[in-house]
Amino acid sequence: MDSDTRLDWADAYLAAAPTGDLFAGAAPDMAGHWRAMLARLATQATDDPATLADHVARQAADLGLAFRLTGDEQERAWPLGPVPLLIGAAEWSHIERGLTQRAQLLERVVADIYSTQSLVREGKLPASVVTGSPHYWRVMTDTPPPNSHFLHFYAADIGRGPNGEWRVLSDRVRTPVGVGYALENRLALSRATGDLLSAMNTRRLAPFFAELRRGLAADCARSDPRIGLLTPGRFNQSYAEQAHLARYLGLLLVEGDDLIVSDGRLFVRTIQGLKRVDGLWRWMDSRFLDPLAFDGGSRIGVADLYDACARGGLMVSNWPGAGVIESRAFGAFLPQLARAMLGSDLILPNIATWWCGQPRERDHVRARLDQLVVGSAFDQPVAGLPDAQFLPGASLDGVQRTALLDAMARRPMDYVGQEIVKLSTTPAVIDGRLAPLPFTLRVFVARDGSGQWRAMPGAFARLAGHGDIRAALMGRGDMSADMCVIDGKPVPPDSLLGGRAPAIRRIGGMLPAKAADNLFWLGRYIERAEMTLRLIRAIAGGSIEADLGPSLASPTMTRLVALLAQWGAVPGSGAAVGPLCATALGDSRQPGSVRALMGVVANIGEGLRDRLASDFWRLVRLPFPRFDGAVTETLLEASSRMIDRISALAGLAAENMGRGDGWRFHDMGRRMERAINGCRLISLFGGDQASDDDLTVLLDLMDSQISYRTRYLTGPALPPVRDLLALEPFNPRAIAWQAARLAEHIAVLPTLRADGMPEEPRRHADALVARLAPLTGDMLTMADIADAESRLLGLSDAIGQRYFLQVHKTESADILA
Amino acid sequence: MIYHVRHRTILHYATPVRLARFNLRLKPAPWPGQWTSDFALDVDPTPTIVESRPGGWPVNVARLVIESPIRRLTIESRFRAGVQGGTIAPQADDPAIGAVARAALLDRDVGPAAPAQYLYASARTPMLAPIGQWVGQGLDPDRPIVAAALALALRIRAEFAYQPGVTDAETPVADAFAARHGVCQDFAHMMVVALRLAGLPAAYVSGYLRTLPPPGMPRLVGADAMHAWVMLWCGPTRGWIGFDPTNGCITGDGHVFVAMGRDYADVAPMDGLFVGGAGQSLSVMVDVAPEEEPALS
Repeated sequence: MDSDTRLDWADAYLAAAPTGDLFAGAAPDMAGHWRAMLARLATQATDDPATLADHVARQAADLGLAFRLTGDEQERAWPLGPVPLLIGAAEWSHIERGLTQRAQLLERVVADIYSTQSLVREGKLPASVVTGSPHYWRVMTDTPPPNSHFLHFYAADIGRGPNGEWRVLSDRVRTPVGVGYALENRLALSRATGDLLSAMNTRRLAPFFAELRRGLAADCARSDPRIGLLTPGRFNQSYAEQAHLARYLGLLLVEGDDLIVSDGRLFVRTIQGLKRVDGLWRWMDSRFLDPLAFDGGSRIGVADLYDACARGGLMVSNWPGAGVIESRAFGAFLPQLARAMLGSDLILPNIATWWCGQPRERDHVRARLDQLVVGSAFDQPVAGLPDAQFLPGASLDGVQRTALLDAMARRPMDYVGQEIVKLSTTPAVIDGRLAPLPFTLRVFVARDGSGQWRAMPGAFARLAGHGDIRAALMGRGDMSADMCVIDGKPVPPDSLLGGRAPAIRRIGGMLPAKAADNLFWLGRYIERAEMTLRLIRAIAGGSIEADLGPSLASPTMTRLVALLAQWGAVPGSGAAVGPLCATALGDSRQPGSVRALMGVVANIGEGLRDRLASDFWRLVRLPFPRFDGAVTETLLEASSRMIDRISALAGLAAENMGRGDGWRFHDMGRRMERAINGCRLISLFGGDQASDDDLTVLLDLMDSQISYRTRYLTGPALPPVRDLLALEPFNPRAIAWQAARLAEHIAVLPTLRADGMPEEPRRHADALVARLAPLTGDMLTMADIADAESRLLGLSDAIGQRYFLQVHKTESADILA
Repeated sequence: MIYHVRHRTILHYATPVRLARFNLRLKPAPWPGQWTSDFALDVDPTPTIVESRPGGWPVNVARLVIESPIRRLTIESRFRAGVQGGTIAPQADDPAIGAVARAALLDRDVGPAAPAQYLYASARTPMLAPIGQWVGQGLDPDRPIVAAALALALRIRAEFAYQPGVTDAETPVADAFAARHGVCQDFAHMMVVALRLAGLPAAYVSGYLRTLPPPGMPRLVGADAMHAWVMLWCGPTRGWIGFDPTNGCITGDGHVFVAMGRDYADVAPMDGLFVGGAGQSLSVMVDVAPEEEPALS
C-alpha cells in the first residue's frame, strides 16, 4: 500500500463518518494520534487491510482467547478488531472520576442495604426495589465483610452520545466479566502492532492489575494470603478469561469441589492436604456459592461457605449479595442517592430511568411510551415483553401495547422505562475498509492496596454487529476492540508487576488435588493415544510389507487387532485392515480411538487452562490429519503425523513445564500408562512361545528396534528382548525405567505424615522397583510380568487415594483402568 | 388451643451416606397469635454439629453434620404450641386489592416478614400466565381482599384434585396446575403465584394441622404430614392472614405455624447434601394432639 492509499484510508472514512464519531469528532491533538495510528496499521497491512484483521485475530487465537454464547458446545474464536479506540487523557480523567464516584456510592448503598437499611426506612429507596432483585440475599443482613468492603471491583457499560457525553448503561458488581478479555485484547493488539501503542503514549494496564491483586490481598487475614479465583467451571461462558486472569494474577484457579469448609474456615484440597484459603475472587453468582445457605440446587458451590463468611476472616469479592444494586430499577434512584449520600451530582449519569413501581413514574412511562424503551426492572422474564428484556415502545403494535399496559397495571414494579440512547461510532475494519460502528465500553475500577478506587486505563470495547448491544458482553456478530488512553507525554515504562517487587519464589503455589488428578490422567491419555497409534501403524504397515512383517492372517496380527478391540478402539476384529485402522484412528464413537482419546485430552486440558501453555492448545486444536481407509499409505502417514504431535506434546512437557509437583503428576501419568502397556505387550508378544514376528512387533511397539540392534547383531531372541523391554534401566521405554521414575517422583512429593513413615504410594513404588531390580532377561518369567502389572495397578490406586479428590472421579477410570 | 406436636421422619438408604450436611426447619418461628415451648429435637445417629442459623425469613434453621457413614437417619421433633382461637372472616371494611397492592409498594420495611419480600417471582413460584388467565377477574383491583382471597382458596379446593403421590417436592407448579391435581404444596404455590400476579404480597407457610378434628367437625386434609398454606398481606391494618387452599378456608386454631418464606425452598423441613446414599426411602409420622384439659373435680 503506498502512502496515498494510506491517507485515503483515513480520509475516505472521515468524509463519510457520522456526527459524533470518536475519530471524526476528535480534538486536533487526538485526531493526529488517530491518523498516525491508522497510517501505521495501513503500513502493516501491506496489500490489503483485511490481512491486518487476520493478523490480530491470529494473535488472539494464539493467546487462547475464546468465548461461548449461551448454548454453545464449543468455544468460539474471539472476534477482535485491529483498530483500537483512542481516548485522550482529559476525557479519560472525567470518566475515571465518574467511575470512582459511582463505586463509592454503590459501596455505601450496598452497605446500607445489608446493615441499617436506613435508606429504605427513610423512604430514599423503596423496599420493593431492593427485594425485587434476584441477587438480594436477606440472609447476608448483618454479616459484614472484612474491613467493611462489600465491593472490590465495579464495572460499568458506558456509551457515548453524539455530543460526546458519556452515560452509564448498566452497573456490574457480580462478576467483572470482560476485564480479562480487555487485558488479552491489549496483549494481542500490542503483539500484532509492534511498538505502535507505546509510540502513542498509551497508558499501561499492568499497574491496574497489580493494584487489583493488592486490593484483594489487603482485606485478607494473613499478610501473604492464599487467594482463589472461584470459577463455575470450564463450561462457563468466560472460563477462558478466568483461567487467564488466575494465571496472570497468580491466583489459584479453583472450582467448588476443590474447596471445603471445616470449622467455619475455608480450605483448598491440595496434594499436601487441606490448606487454608484467605480470600476468594468469585466468578459465580451468590446464588450458587453455598447450597446450604443460598440456592439448594447448586452443584458448583461450597457447602457452608456462608458460615465461613459469617464467621469473619474470609475475604470474598465482591461480597455475597452485592449484586442487589445491579437491577435497572436502581438507575432511577442513583441520582437522588448521590445527592443524599455524597452531597453531589453524579459525574457520570446513567441513562434516564423511570421505575414503574411509583405511580408518577408509571404514568410518565405510559404517556411517553413511544419515546422510550420498556424493560424488565430486575432482569427477569416479565409479562408483555416476549423474549426481550427491552423493547422500544414505538415498536409495539396495538395488541402488544394493550397487553404490555395491562401487565404493567397489574405488576408495575416489574418494569422500567428508559430513554433511547444514541451511540456514537468508531472506525472498524469491515471487508477491508474502514466503516463506522456504534460502540459501548465496559470499564473497570478496583480497590488498590490502600482501599482506594483505581480505574483501569483502558476498556473492553464492544462494536455492534447489529441490534441492541446493551445486554450481554458479546452478541452474535459483534466485534471487540481495545481502547487506548493516550497521554500527552511518554508513559514511564512499568514492569508487569509494577511497584514493590514481590518476594522471590521458585515454584508456583500449592497444587490443588484436582489439578494433580487432571495432570496425571492427561499424561495417561496422551500415552495411551501414542500406543494406539503404534498399534495402528504396526497393523497397517504389516499389511503392505508382507515379506518383512507378519502377514495379516498371522497369529501376531490377530493379537494386535484383539488388543485394539480390548482398548475400545475398534468394535471387533472382523473388519479388513483398512477400515479397521480407519476406525481405530478416526471414529470418535469408539471410546478408545485416537480421535476420542485426543478429545478426552482436550477436555482434561480445559480443566487445566491456567497450567498449560498456549502451545499445548495449538497442538491439541490442530485439525485431525486426513486419511483414506482404502489407502494404507494415508493411514500410515496420518498415524505418523499424530505420533509427531504427541512427541511435540512430550517435548513441551519435558522442555517447558516447570519441574514442580504439577509436572511430576503429568509425568507419572505417562510413566504409569507406558509401564502398564509394556506389561500388556510383553505378555502378549514376549511369552515363552513368542515367534520372530511377535518379537519384531514387540520391539516396534515399544520403540526399541534401534536400541536392540546397537546391542545385538543377531535377530530378536527372547531373553535379550525381555531384558531390554522389561528390565533395562537405560531404556526409556522399559518397564523398569518407568518404575524407577515413578519412585523418584513419589519420593519427592509432599508427605502428610509427621512420623517419617512412608505413605502408601511410596511403599508400592519402592516395592515395585525392588521387585524388578535383581531380575535379568534370562530369568524373567511371565509371572513376573503379571506381578509387575498388578503392582502398577495397585500403585495407580494408591496415588489416586492419597493425592486426588475422592468425592467424584474424573472422566478417567472406565476407559483406561 | 394448645397442642402437643410430634413429627418423626425416618430415612433408609440402600447404600450408606458417607457424609451428611443438612438443614432442618422444624422449630416454629415466632408468629403473632402463637406461642411455642418445650421444643426438642432428637436425631439418630447423633450429629457432630447442631447449631441454629438465621434463615433470612420467619424460619428457624438448624444445621447438622453427620460425618460417619449411615444407612438410617431418624429425626424427631416435639413441641407444645398455643394457637389463639377466634375466627378471621371477611369484613365489610376490608381494603380493596388495588389499595393493598399500592400500600405494599410504599411499605418501608425489608425485614423478614415485610410485604416487600413476598411480591416477586421466586424459583418455585414463577409468574405463570396461565394461572393469571385462570384467575380471570377474581382478583380485580376493586375487590375486597379477604373475600376475594377466600374465594380463590375455595376455587382451588373445588377445581383441583387432592391426590397424594401424583406430585413430589420437586414438581414444578406449572405441571401441577396444568394437571389440575396435587397436594398442599402445589396448591399453596399456585395460590401464591395467583396473588403475586395481582401485585399482592403472598408467602408460603409450612406448618401442621390438628390430627383429629373437634367432635362433630370434619377432619382436615393433609394432617398426616407437614402441611402448607398461604399467608397474604392484607394491608397495614389487617396484616398477614392465612389461607389454606387445600381445605378452602381461612386458617384458624387448627393450624400450627412453623415457618414462612417465598416458596417451599425457603421453608423445606429438610434439605442439604448427602454424599453417597442411593436408594432412599422415607417414612413420616405426624401427630398434633390437643392438650388434655385437666378435669374439674
